[in-house]
Amino acid sequence: MNADFQQTPNNLCPYCSAAFETFDGLKAHVVAVHKTEPLPKPDGLIQLTVNGQSHKLLVAPEWTLYQVIHDKLGLTGVKMFCDRGACGSCTVIMDGRPILSCMTLAIECDGKTIETAEGIAEAGHPLIDSYVNHHTMQCGYCTPGFITTAKALLDRNPEPNESEIMQALAGNLCRCGTYPQHPKAVLEAARTLKEEHSK
Amino acid sequence: MRSFEHFNARTMEEAVAILGRYGDRARVIAGGTDLLGKLKDEILPKYPEALVNIKSISGMDYIREDNDVLKIGALTRLEDIAVHPAVKQHFGALAEAAGRAASPHLREMGTLAGNICQDIRCWYYRYPNNRFPCLRKGGGRCYAIEGDNRYHSIFGGTVDDGCYAVHPSDTAPALIALDAVVRTTKRTIPLEDFFDVKVSATTVLDPDEIVTEFEIPQSPGKAGSHFIKFALRKTIDFAVVNCAAMILIEERKVASARVCLNAVAVKPYRAVKAEQAIIGQELNESTAEAAGESAISQATPLKDNGYMVQLAKIIVKRTILACA
Amino acid sequence: MTEKKLGPYQTLKQEGTYKIGYDKPTVDFKQIGKRGVRRYDGFEKASGKALYTRDVNLPGMLYAKVLSSPYARARMLRLDTGKAEKYPGVRAVLRYDDPAINGQELTGSIAGTTRMAPESAGWAMLPVKTILSDQAIFEGQMVGVAIAADTEQIASEALKLVKVEWEEQPFILDKEKALDSDAPKLISGADSNKIADEDRELTEQGDVEKGFQEAEEIIEFTARRDAHLWAGAELPSVVARWSGDKLEMWVHEQQPYLSKLILAEQLNIPMNKIHTHSLYQGCSFGERCNPSNWSQNGINVLAVLLAKKADRPVKLVLNRAEKFYGFSGDLMVSQFKVGARRDGTITAVQMNNLFANYMCTTGVEHLVENTKIPNLRCEGTTVFVNKPPAWWNRCEQLPNVFCQTLVFDHIADALGMDPTEVALLNDGCEGRDKSYLEDFQRENGFEPRDSLKECIAAGKKAIGWDENWHPPGTRQLPNGRMHGMAFTWSHDWDDTRGTGSAAVLIQNDGSVSIIAQHSDVGVNPWTTYMQIVADELGVRYEDIEINPFDLNVGFALMSPDGSCNLGSNGYVVKKAARKARRMLLDLAADKFDLPAEALDIEDSTVFEKANPDNRMPVKDVVKMAVPMLNAVGIWTEPPVLDWAWHTQGLWGMALETGRPRMCRQANFIEVEVDTETGEVCVTRVVNVNDVGKAISPETVEGQMYGGTYMGLGRALAEEMVWDPATGVLLNRNLLDYKYATMLDYPASDNIYIETGLGHGPYGSTGIGENTATMIPALLGPAVYNAIGKRIDDFPITPNKVLKALGKI
Repeated sequence: MNADFQQTPNNLCPYCSAAFETFDGLKAHVVAVHKTEPLPKPDGLIQLTVNGQSHKLLVAPEWTLYQVIHDKLGLTGVKMFCDRGACGSCTVIMDGRPILSCMTLAIECDGKTIETAEGIAEAGHPLIDSYVNHHTMQCGYCTPGFITTAKALLDRNPEPNESEIMQALAGNLCRCGTYPQHPKAVLEAARTLKEEHSK
Repeated sequence: MRSFEHFNARTMEEAVAILGRYGDRARVIAGGTDLLGKLKDEILPKYPEALVNIKSISGMDYIREDNDVLKIGALTRLEDIAVHPAVKQHFGALAEAAGRAASPHLREMGTLAGNICQDIRCWYYRYPNNRFPCLRKGGGRCYAIEGDNRYHSIFGGTVDDGCYAVHPSDTAPALIALDAVVRTTKRTIPLEDFFDVKVSATTVLDPDEIVTEFEIPQSPGKAGSHFIKFALRKTIDFAVVNCAAMILIEERKVASARVCLNAVAVKPYRAVKAEQAIIGQELNESTAEAAGESAISQATPLKDNGYMVQLAKIIVKRTILACA
Repeated sequence: MTEKKLGPYQTLKQEGTYKIGYDKPTVDFKQIGKRGVRRYDGFEKASGKALYTRDVNLPGMLYAKVLSSPYARARMLRLDTGKAEKYPGVRAVLRYDDPAINGQELTGSIAGTTRMAPESAGWAMLPVKTILSDQAIFEGQMVGVAIAADTEQIASEALKLVKVEWEEQPFILDKEKALDSDAPKLISGADSNKIADEDRELTEQGDVEKGFQEAEEIIEFTARRDAHLWAGAELPSVVARWSGDKLEMWVHEQQPYLSKLILAEQLNIPMNKIHTHSLYQGCSFGERCNPSNWSQNGINVLAVLLAKKADRPVKLVLNRAEKFYGFSGDLMVSQFKVGARRDGTITAVQMNNLFANYMCTTGVEHLVENTKIPNLRCEGTTVFVNKPPAWWNRCEQLPNVFCQTLVFDHIADALGMDPTEVALLNDGCEGRDKSYLEDFQRENGFEPRDSLKECIAAGKKAIGWDENWHPPGTRQLPNGRMHGMAFTWSHDWDDTRGTGSAAVLIQNDGSVSIIAQHSDVGVNPWTTYMQIVADELGVRYEDIEINPFDLNVGFALMSPDGSCNLGSNGYVVKKAARKARRMLLDLAADKFDLPAEALDIEDSTVFEKANPDNRMPVKDVVKMAVPMLNAVGIWTEPPVLDWAWHTQGLWGMALETGRPRMCRQANFIEVEVDTETGEVCVTRVVNVNDVGKAISPETVEGQMYGGTYMGLGRALAEEMVWDPATGVLLNRNLLDYKYATMLDYPASDNIYIETGLGHGPYGSTGIGENTATMIPALLGPAVYNAIGKRIDDFPITPNKVLKALGKI
């Protein structure tokens, strides 16, 4: 964590900048003068539910969600590829949306529920097998990002057509060019899911 | 990324207060997809001291039809706008623009307010570590003039007549064509008046001012609106040229028209001459062509971007024809 | 008797390690060629469990960053690292004048090692070679200082505290102006920017003057190409850890054994003290084995030296922008003169090719190797410009393919002929016609096949060539766009060489391990090795495992960097499996009390050929092998293991190597050009490859799909843009460097033909490089066929199309 950050006094009133010696003093001031309660809790302490497991973490403001998931939690399914939001390799599912963890600040994710490729595999989702069967990978670096994006699609739209699949996966870059195999794999996974549900 | 102070604001009042305290040393963060790129690359001469997150403020993510007005909360994600049935049905240009912006993932993160508040695209301005201290950063010159300006303004420079960057938003021209107004914590103004050209800013927003809502009037009569984007790739890319138009046709003739280009100048470019060219006319290939010609009549291309003039002409023509 | 000295090919042939004849299968294919074989790497890659170098974290590990030059050309007058050294969290600072670097031959590339002649490595030809120089000859070059610190952020901040006093020097970017007398010279005092490049100065076959005299049609034209780059998914990365005098490394390398060799030479560390891990590799396409790549071995050396200095493990990962410095050998201007008879027989081709920053091909090689054109002359000039070194980029045949495609397309057009006819008429080898290939096939046990004819027939049918091809600029579609089609062809080139060794080990429980180091860059290599071992050994595919991540074993398979994966590795694992099989059968002979010849292996079971009911699982054969009672009374057995080595020769022409290239490929494309916007919309691509024998059909198709996207992106959108005023690379990110997304181009139709004419095992040949290299060249001809105007200036972007059409 950056040294400057730690030294910054946290007991400034966000509304009028008045300074207080203690956090309790600040809190009493805000309630009395600004009529609002409670004060936002100090930033940095967040709770994430990742692949069904709860984690409490103290994060620096500048840490991205990618850094927390990959470097701190050790989930290698999020990949750094472009690091600027242009490739989809760091995709996680957060509250149902496929989002880019490299362009998300972890400190803004308190209380969120997150899925990564590892969680999708552990849950036995048919996408994993269909990706393997259709050779939907070459070097494999971008593959987990496709898996998470495809899973988010199937959660919302269990029976997508080929065009919907391609539109959903359009933000995932693959330098090896495995693109044509993805719609096939996702369609097969959707069929398998449907069969599982009808049983 | 270098560090900063960070606030997850609970209320708009709180967010404004924090911004007020920091002045121009703080930034608002919502989707973050533009801001974090700028911070990672440290493109700004002054790195922000604080970020104020407004995603933590509840109730700013909505699409509501309210009497004759469509209201969209500032934090509504682009993807939600693109797929919303009412938006698709009555505000085609906006649904198309939101659906063509960036990539699927970025549309799940980026907000409508963020899309109009995003900073300009220019590879000199955006080059990491402030390698090119350009006009917009308080420096002495625009590097694009002597440099590679294939994606720069075809309608002259601004910021003391020097910055040739372009405004990249896809939704801005759509909102302008749809005659939208934007509500902020301080005022309500037509979207057309929202954009400004000054050193280190692209909007009229004060440092402690935040966009809260958009209002779009239900289109009069049977006005149709469309949006077309020309980019080198079909996704991810910013527009080389984009255009939105809303056209009302009565008794086979154009009764009213609003046409707006973007990515061709430092702010969205309302093609008034194109509108004038078609009002009172029947819409067909030749009138649309004439409108396209009119749209670019004041273009002053640089050495590498002459093709953008041709593109603007054609995209205006095609957008207008799509509304027929 | 005097000993006769043999040339390298004769020696290799005599030893039986280089095959020129048909490698006829001797076993029934059960796994080989079968669809649905489970990919070895599939689950790991899909689930995110596959590890890449960046995923490695060690206790106490530091993070390193390297300074890069902000100028296209500059010299450091002063380097002050005082503040950086004192910055909290900085643990090691390595300067260019450090004794560990200063005066050492520490290049970032193979250049400078005894393993590669300096004159044959691009980087070595450039005037500044060391990994941390005080001189920069291109913007973005690693220079001056590297810093290791507790976090990446601290290392970055510390770099900002480094004060450099630069002397900016004049630079040149334009390859065509580099030879002007007033152009700034990269080597101070030199009178020209021309690089002495004897190999490429002149390639000649026959007599072009005579050829032009025989011609009834002569055309001349010029073409230009700009650079593009690898842009693979994984970032250049390395982790180094010292333990006493032992060095452990995790590397992102296409050819890890070679990188270890270079490191050993450069830093004087015995190879057996270096323990290298190469995890999964996130693409490469030549980048991570590029002999001229300034960052490739460079980051390894820096991490090792920093780790030594700090006595802590060090991870060095370049960022996306830093990965952009280096590119394909496509900075090129070509002038052509082509002569032909009216019947389509090409009588002479002359070309002058100007390259910048080196490339290892001449441009004429394919015309030599797969045509009967008798008279060829190619003059090459190579110049320095202040851009990164150029080298192969999936692959170095790009200039050759471009030149062949343009020569054939232009001359067919001038003659008013169908280009597929012109191709068939001129097919051959080194100035000889097809009868040379037919004779060779007959004499060496191949089936008589006409590869090009088969490829063209299949491709024409698939794309509807006869119905849809038309003269240039003559077909407007109902949507207003102009329709265009094009075709090109060439030979297979992956490749006639490559070397590897591997062992096949049958473990105590009957499971089988393939032992060798290897980098998987995405071509599904390990599945195919396992397929081969399964069929050759007679064991179940499921019983085989490969663990190529650990490089201490000493066996090293060729990675596909030398354009050679299965072409040599297939032979290696096949030979090793056959030797292990022999050993297993010898052991089984004892147990069965039968001669080994009477036994066979199938489905992981040994059985008597004459009496198949007499059978025993492999695991029991191994267990019975050499029983030993050890001290605690547990039965153990020595495993069955044998190893093999193979080389598939060297570079060279058919007359030298004894083996012509016989497999052909044909690529067809259909486009629509929007003449108002200049947009080129690709609507169909048909790839036809004679792969000899497909070991894994899905993998063959995967390479054809993937190569199509890369190829189309290269031709239409991928471009590196340098600021003309400062020499700074402007678009070094994946938003501004535009490679194909899923929506940009259609999935290709892929047809593979199996003639057995390849040089590899079972008559196979490679597929990894071909499509991506063939496709870009097609776009010029396709756009010409659509709009009737030539744009031989790649990439073909909308502004160039609009210019050609006179719209701007």
